[in-house]
Amino acid sequence: MPETITLSVTRFDPDRDSAPHPQSYEVPYQEDWVVLDALNWVKAHVDGSVNYRWSCRMGICGSCGMNVNGRPKLGCSAFLRDYLPGPIVVEPMANFPVVRDLVVDISSFMDKLKWVKPWIIREETAVGPGEHRQTPAQIDQYRQFSMCINCMLCYSACPVIPIEPEFVGPAAIALARRYELDSRDRAGQERLRTLTGSDAIWDCSFVGECSAVCPKGVDPAKAIQQTKFESTLGMLLPWGGR
Amino acid sequence: MRSGDVAKVRLDEARPAAGVDGVTAGTAAHPSTPAKPAAAYPVKQPFTWWTRRRGYLLYMLREFTAVGIAAWMILFLVEIARARQGASGYQPLGGPLFIAVGVVCLALALWHSYTFLSLAGVIMRIPLGDRTVSPRLIVGVMYGGLVAVTAVIAGLLIWGGA
Repeated sequence: MPETITLSVTRFDPDRDSAPHPQSYEVPYQEDWVVLDALNWVKAHVDGSVNYRWSCRMGICGSCGMNVNGRPKLGCSAFLRDYLPGPIVVEPMANFPVVRDLVVDISSFMDKLKWVKPWIIREETAVGPGEHRQTPAQIDQYRQFSMCINCMLCYSACPVIPIEPEFVGPAAIALARRYELDSRDRAGQERLRTLTGSDAIWDCSFVGECSAVCPKGVDPAKAIQQTKFESTLGMLLPWGGR
Repeated sequence: MRSGDVAKVRLDEARPAAGVDGVTAGTAAHPSTPAKPAAAYPVKQPFTWWTRRRGYLLYMLREFTAVGIAAWMILFLVEIARARQGASGYQPLGGPLFIAVGVVCLALALWHSYTFLSLAGVIMRIPLGDRTVSPRLIVGVMYGGLVAVTAVIAGLLIWGGA
């Protein structure tokens, strides 16, 4: 077992640098350390100017998305032991402008997320006060797509995003699908019309890497392809594919 | 508003176009949304992006199989046009080169079919009561259909002209 491992971290100071560049740090190797632990060690002991986002350290908040050895990962779930003997190349998530070091500008994603209206929509007022009960089978219809933590790793893995920057993208469409399949939601056809418009499902060429990198098994590619299939049936069948 | 009530909201709001660098696509920013940092560095996707990961490479291979299938279809159409000259003037294509092209196109078509049919269970969501048809069953039916159609066509080719 090595005593140290090399961490190559992308650095970018917009006030001084013309482009991002790598900087190497030797960090102590610990069997149970993740990349986020190593970055925290660097920030605490070597270079306090390193910038990165993090919060929960347990794969729930979705803040610490970064590219580790070229693959989008949560820093809190990328164990150093999986990258022996190193070096571990830590870069900001791809397909987002770099604000500073590993911090990227996520405003485009936030706008796309709002656009799909990821909340329950009902034309009428509620069926009544209190609970909106669902059977386990009804919950199973959308449970997988509700697991998204908005970590944006799928956007980092999607090669369509840099080619079609207006593409709504995997996570936002998966969330739209989650509400479309929710028995309490009443905007299914409207959501389908939105998603079949420009910059949405038909921009996806089904590379599938969004699902491969998803830390929560959401499978956004499945959400997108299912929506394509249903919208196609909707055009062909009199009952709208439902 | 009572507990559980949901406001009437519609999805028909237009989304403004992306900015020059493509990162500002979306609805108008909410007042609480912080302004986009002015000095953010726009990282470009390299031309060789598809060589960087196995998944990307397999995707490109999957897409390129369509080129082989299209080439074979064009060849097939040319043959049909040539056959219009009648049986006496028609000389079917043959030789090692034609066989090699045929084998390559068959391999590409089989790979394309495999990737397409294997994904059918993911793509197709068929409601069955309050549940959905099993993806495994969908894939099984797809492969069964492929075998059946292939057998029918092979039967026609082998015995149809007799």
